[in-house]
Amino acid sequence: MINLFGYRLSWAQLAWFGHRASGLGVLLFLFLHIVETSTVLLGPEVYDFTQTFYQNLPAKLGEVLLMAALVYHALNGLRVIAMDFWPSLTVYYRPLTYGVIAATIISMVPLGIIMTRGYLPWG
Amino acid sequence: MTTLRRPRVIYTNPSRAARPKPEASGTERFWWYFMRLSGLALVILALGHMFIMHVLVVLTGDEINFAFVQSRWGSPFWRIYDFALLVLAFLHGVNGARVVIGDYVNHRTARSLILGVLLVISGIWLVAGMAIIIFFDPSTQSVAGPLS
Repeated sequence: MINLFGYRLSWAQLAWFGHRASGLGVLLFLFLHIVETSTVLLGPEVYDFTQTFYQNLPAKLGEVLLMAALVYHALNGLRVIAMDFWPSLTVYYRPLTYGVIAATIISMVPLGIIMTRGYLPWG
Repeated sequence: MTTLRRPRVIYTNPSRAARPKPEASGTERFWWYFMRLSGLALVILALGHMFIMHVLVVLTGDEINFAFVQSRWGSPFWRIYDFALLVLAFLHGVNGARVVIGDYVNHRTARSLILGVLLVISGIWLVAGMAIIIFFDPSTQSVAGPLS
């Protein structure tokens, strides 16, 4: 149980909410990504200029957030698939949920460092 | 002696992180399976895409620019990979948004309106996305685009 502003949230609720929030976030980026990639049809100058929008710290942090959303959505999605098709796994519901959250955080450490390379104080 | 009673929801909705499987076969049941099967493919396709673009490109000191896309989409493998990723991710995402809208918008007219707008915009975007991958010509050497 997590206590958030007086609301008692279970990890189950948080996993559900996280799956939806990350999914909608990634979809929103997908719309943007199609618009941005469309400039590739306008030639090298235009496309290379569009890509400079990504070459700053706020954009890099956004990319890290996108990666975190995708990693969580993928891992939690695998948990959903596993438990939907093998209901006997329900017994391990709690460790699986904690495992997904822990694996997301742990994998984001090296990924975050690599992705923000060049913007870190020592980079 | 107290007996442990498990909530019924565990059996009808094992994962408790997504929708229960629709009882009746039909469109909703199809999308339920589609989300799980496309999800499985997208774990490889989407995470692979992110790993290539944000880890391998960084570690090899490469840069994502026009020349990068030119060499990448010069290979049929990556063009088919990106096309599959686009279509699956888009259908997966839009259907997910449809389910979320259906869960939170109770007003019938408002729901139909929002779903209609989502569907029309998504259709335009998906066709545009597919067109980019299909019509990009990797042999273009021209430096002058229409806007330059």
